This record gives sequence, C-alpha cells and structure tokens, in this order.
Amino acid sequence: MNEEKPAGLDAELLDDFFAEADEHLLGIRQALLHLETSVGKAQADPKIIEDLFRNFHSFKGISAIVGLGPAEAVAHATEDFLRLMRGGKAQLTAKGLEVLVAATQKLVQLAAAFRARKPLPGYESLLADLRQQCDSSSESAPVSKTLPRPENSPDTALLTKIEEARSRGLLLWKYIFSPSRESKDRGVNVNTVREQLAKAGEILKATPLVKSQGVIEFEFLVAAQDTPTDIAEWEAKGVTVQIAEQEEAAPKPLSPAEAPTLEEETHNPFLAPSHVVRVDLKRLDDLMRITGEMVIHRSRLDAQLGQLHGSRVDLRGVQEVSSSVARSLRELREAIMRVRLVPVAEIFARMPFVVRDLSRQTQKQVRLKLSGQETAIDKYLIERLKDPLLHLVRNAFSHGVETLEERTAASKPAEATIELSAATVGDSVILKVRDDGRGINPNAILRQARKLGLEVPDVMDNAAILKILCASGFSTREDTDRVAGRGVGMAVVYSTVRELGGNLTLESEEGRGTQFNLRLPLTLAIAETLIVRAAGQTCAIPQSFVREILHATEAQIQIVNGIEAISYRAGVLPIVRLAGLFQLKSAPKPKMCVLVITSERGSVGLLTDDILGQREVVVRALRDPLIQVVGITGATELGDGKPVLILDGAALTSGSVRPEGRLDMSEQTN
Amino acid sequence: MSATLESYVLFELAGSVYGLPSRSVQHIEMFEHVTLVPNANSAIDGVVFSRGQVIPALNLRARFGFPRENNTLRTRIVFATIHDRTVGLIVDTAREFRNLSTENIRPIEETLTGINGKYLKAVTKVADRLVLILDLEAILKVDDVQLTPPAQTALPQTATP
Repeated sequence: MNEEKPAGLDAELLDDFFAEADEHLLGIRQALLHLETSVGKAQADPKIIEDLFRNFHSFKGISAIVGLGPAEAVAHATEDFLRLMRGGKAQLTAKGLEVLVAATQKLVQLAAAFRARKPLPGYESLLADLRQQCDSSSESAPVSKTLPRPENSPDTALLTKIEEARSRGLLLWKYIFSPSRESKDRGVNVNTVREQLAKAGEILKATPLVKSQGVIEFEFLVAAQDTPTDIAEWEAKGVTVQIAEQEEAAPKPLSPAEAPTLEEETHNPFLAPSHVVRVDLKRLDDLMRITGEMVIHRSRLDAQLGQLHGSRVDLRGVQEVSSSVARSLRELREAIMRVRLVPVAEIFARMPFVVRDLSRQTQKQVRLKLSGQETAIDKYLIERLKDPLLHLVRNAFSHGVETLEERTAASKPAEATIELSAATVGDSVILKVRDDGRGINPNAILRQARKLGLEVPDVMDNAAILKILCASGFSTREDTDRVAGRGVGMAVVYSTVRELGGNLTLESEEGRGTQFNLRLPLTLAIAETLIVRAAGQTCAIPQSFVREILHATEAQIQIVNGIEAISYRAGVLPIVRLAGLFQLKSAPKPKMCVLVITSERGSVGLLTDDILGQREVVVRALRDPLIQVVGITGATELGDGKPVLILDGAALTSGSVRPEGRLDMSEQTN
Repeated sequence: MSATLESYVLFELAGSVYGLPSRSVQHIEMFEHVTLVPNANSAIDGVVFSRGQVIPALNLRARFGFPRENNTLRTRIVFATIHDRTVGLIVDTAREFRNLSTENIRPIEETLTGINGKYLKAVTKVADRLVLILDLEAILKVDDVQLTPPAQTALPQTATP
C-alpha cells in the first residue's frame, strides 16, 4: 500500500510510531479503568499510577521522535500531574480523573489527525486544565463522590462480545433512536425499536443517553451480518444508523461526507488485547512470499528427484517426504490466505451512506441493493478497490440515474436502483455495479471524444465506449455536477483493476441502464496453471480457464468469417495462436494442442505446440507500466529463474480476437 | 575549495560512454535471458526477475534509436531505480564505477542533443573522454513510448503486494 505519510519521515518509522502509540494508549486506558476505584482515596494505587506514568512518558518520547510536538506537550503535562500523584502530593479527584481521560482522548485525536495528515486539533485548554490540576492538588481539592463514568472506558464484557461478533464476521452498527412526538404518534417507542433491531441482528448493548434539556436518546450497538439498506425507513422512525466499525487502516477518508470525525474516533476504544492480534499486511506478504519461495524450492527438489529416477537408490522414502512437504506447504499457504481474506462488506458497508448523502444533495431517489456481502477477498484487494468502487457508485448515481422528471417521462419508477454485488466464480471474484438509469449515449461519448482529440473507433460498441471512458483526461463536462468529478476517474478505475490482474467490462443499454463488471483474482498469490509452449515461448495459463484439451492438425483449421477456427462440438471454436501472440511462427507440427479457454464471455481455442504439464505457480504482478500489456496477467518462474508469462484467459475469450491472434483493448473489453 | 565527489556507473553504448549515479543503480548483471512480452513497447526486450520482482528489460540502443546488436558475453543489464520503479537497462557493456567531481559535471549543451538528446541530463569528461549523464526519468517516461492506450494512463506503481 502506498500510504501517504507526513513528509520527510521514514514510513517504517511512522508505522512503528502508530503501533507503539496504540500500545501505550491501550495501557493508559486499562490503567484509567482501574484508577476509577481510587478516586477520593488518600493515595491512588501506586502501581497503576506508575503504569500510567510510564505509558505517558513513553508516548512523550515517541511523539518527540516523529516530531508530533503537541502530543509531546500533552504527554509531558500529564506526566507532571502524575508525578505529583506518585509522590503522594496529590490526591486523585473526580475532576483529576476526568482531565486524565481528556488527555488520553487528546492524544488519540492528535495521533489520528497526524496519521490522516489533517490539521491537528487544539490542545491549549487541556494543558491549562492539567496545570490547574497540578496547582490545585496541593490545596487538596474537595472530592466529588458522584463520579461520572468516563465515556470511553469500555467494559470488558462488552469488548468480549464485540470481539466475538467480529470473529463471526458480523458488522457492528450503531442505531440511535431519538423519541419524538411524531414517532410516538406512529406507535414507535424504544421497545418497538428494540424488537425490530433484534430481528436485524444481535443487540450487544443498549445505552440511554441524556442530552441537554432533558432529551433522552437510546443508543443500540447491533451486530449484524448485512448492511442495513433500509436506512431511510429507520430515519423516518427517528433512528439514525451509523457504522460502529473502528477506523484503522483507512488513512484516506473516502469522502468528506462520511469521514468519521475525530470525535467519533475517540469513541472507538481500541480493543483489549486477548487472542486477537493485529498484523501489518506487509508481514503477511512476507510470509506469503517465503511460502511461495518454498513452493518453488520444493518443485526443484522434485525435479531433481525425477532426474535420479532409474538409479539404483530407492527413492520412495524421499519422494514420500517430498510430497508430505508439498501437502504441508499447501496447507500453510491456505492458512495464510485465510488470514488475509475479509468480506467485501468492508467496502459495501459504506455505500448506503454514500448514496444517502448523494440523495440528500440532489432530488434523486435511489435505492441501493447489496448482494454477496459475505464474499471474502484478499485484504489488499479490498484496500485497492475502495476508491474505484466508490467512484463507480458515484458515477452510477450522477451519470447513470436520471432526474426525477426524466424518469417520470420515461415511465420508470421514481425510485432508481443501484445494485452492488459480489460473487466468486472459480478463482475470480466478480464485482458488479449496476444502475437502472439512462444508459450511456454512444453519440454523446463520441462527440466528447472528438472534442478531446481522442482516437475514435469505427463501431461504438460497449468495448469502444469503455475504452474512451477510461482514456485519461476523459470527462463529460456537459453533466459534471458536484457529485461527480471529484472521484478518481475511470482511468484510475481501469488501471487499478488491470494492475490487480483483473479486467473491467461494460454493459450498457440506452434507456435501460449501465453495468460495470470488475473481474479480479480471488487471491493474489498462487494459481494452478497449465504450462504451454509454442515457437520456443513458454507460458502459463490458469487452469480455471481451461475447460478441455483437444488435439488438432493444421488441416483442421479453417477460415470462418476471416477468423481461424476449428469445429468443436456442434459449432466452431475460434483459434488464437500462442506463437501469433508473440508475432512468431511455429515450425509446422503434425499434431498441436488446443486448450479450450472459457470464461463468462465465451470460449476460444489456444493453439500451442505442446503442453509441458500442470503446475502450481506463484503469481508475480507486472507492476511497471512498461510491461502492463493486455492479455498478460502476471509472471512466474518454474525454478530456473526465468520469468514465464501468465496469460489472461478472460482477455483471450473476448470473442473477437483477430486471426493472427493479436490482442488489443477493443477485444479485451468486448 | 574542495570538490565534491559522487560515484557514477559508467557504461558503453554504440561507441559512447554514459553514466548514471551509483545511488540509482541497484546492481549490474550479465545478460542471460529475457522473456518476450507480446504487445509491449518496441524498446522492451522483455522481462527479467530481479529480487523477486518482474522487471522490464529496456534495450537502451532501441530506446535511443540506435540499431540493435546481438547480445554478447559483454552485454550487461543495469538495474536502475527511480521513484520506486526498477528497470533493467540493456547496455553494450558496463565499464566501471568512478568518482566524478560534481563541479565538472555540466548541463548538456544544446548542440549536443543528437537523437538521444532528450534523455541526457549532463556531460562531463573522464580522461579526455566525454561521459554523457543519463536522465533516467526521461528514459522511463512512457508518454512518448507507444503503448496500448489504456496502459498509458497507469500511474507509476510504487505499491508492494
């Protein structure tokens, strides 16, 4: 991940800082919890004070290292106060505890703002409070017996429940019910809300909140499998819905509208340590890489053993061990992969809020339909796909969905639907963003493309439209409004998907709607492939795309509609020559192998000289733009250090591959 | 006044000596094998592995418009890094590391800009021979390389998987 860090600092150093800051804050919170019981006593538990002191002191130190001055100052002042208490010169008062809690919150806010590169919150008044505590403590301030429970001190039973819910893959939601005369008239009260919530999920906690002027609100913490799509209904009952998920790996806010404010973040206490370990994705990457290397070493060992075959030494024992190693490696790989998988709900969960906010800003009524939220994909994919998906949903809303008048005129239901779905198909995950809006007008796109001097294709099919949409600098200024135009752009959507080894396609029908399909590999690391060869070039093709292997002779290849094809089952199968991809010619061979490559877009026969075998390979991404070419998803090695390209089955099956087997964009996205 | 020295890697291409600052050179390897990549830019000979990464191998002769030559035992791949991108530059041969005095490195003269002028940054002399200091950024710029259109929009990638 390419997380932006405050300038001039080593990214690793900062990562360490945040990790350490987390630890110290956790320690501080736990100590504060225990400290509650010491309020008003002649002397607070010295062990806890010592603990607090140490944590604030360390926090001060690490803040100084990264140059977070305000945090250093706050921690320093807190340290002064604690020093007095440690020396028995100060008694812990309710107010004192409050100030300590406030100081902790301030540190959280400062660290969060620092991480997000936002302006740091003010801290002067807090410093004044801390100083006042130091000064007044010598005068033995009166002790209040009614201590308000610090708002962000989590009770451990709740934490256990939260953790348990998360481990089951449930999402946490905060429903806040503010009773009003209207809701009462409609028969909505706290009990009916509670009953309905119990149907939606599991209520972990219900808290009445006393607001100013005697207003009471009820906050429910609910763990549920699905994202509520009926936010509007809840709102009509006087219930607001919020994500109670904690914000950790999202330094970039998705949009100003939904970015959690600093205040919200401080209400999200870090989870207590127990059996949950937070791991930097990079460390898992390392494990994955090492495992990948081991898989390669194992294959080499096997190859070496193969060469010894026929010698007099009995190799059965060694071979048995080798295959056990292979089995364990496979299990290890799967175990690491499972750790990396997270449900796409992590992205989907934000979308109802995006759509709701957009609806508020415009007159459009849009219903968001989510499906397949439980689909688990690699955490890295989730992180990379956040912005592209957000962009597609915003696009669907602002460009796809018509205005209310247009919809009425077209006799469509006033409420438009945007559908976001995820599903696994073989080794891939397919994400779809669909709207039932106006569809794309090819002529408008064509006009705009001409105006911008972009290359204009002869036939404006969906692939051609997508190609123009994804060209850098393309934007239909005609209908740019405040909703669109602030996203990442289709060019970035396209390049992100490509870079992740996936592909992007478009289905659009004027008047009916638009659909973007993102096909991505489920996991990034290892694939089952067939190794094929033609004209001296060795390539790998993911087995998930290979339906069948046929034998063919040159005589069987006929020209159908200007395209090379062979008869296959009841029809014909277009042929792509592997040698042709490289613009090479194969020496004539009496018998060639045809791999029937199938994806959801159709089938094509890949003509090869030879199939060398079946291999489990480690997929390495092609990251440099100089080598990101259509038709190739990555590279691997077979143990000899030479890169072997992995072909993109989906690009091959576009159905319009030219006879000589060249691939280009229009074919890829057909 | 004491001169500041900076280490450069010197290599040869079509009869001229070129240089790159050593700090932007990861390592230098003998040319052994590149894997062809279909549809890549014509100056890309293919891909090679370097430290677990798939790296494009850019033929510097082709990039500069010189005729390609067959690879020999002297052919080297110079792995150069800029903005977190690593590229293997295929050169006729790599000569040496040399500390050059920075004050003798002068910006390129207009008159020197031949076919590869826009890829040069500066010029200096080592033992009466001209050494042309390369502008790595310009060499790797994809805008003036014909790529499949959408790939052009790809941003330089710095991410690790």
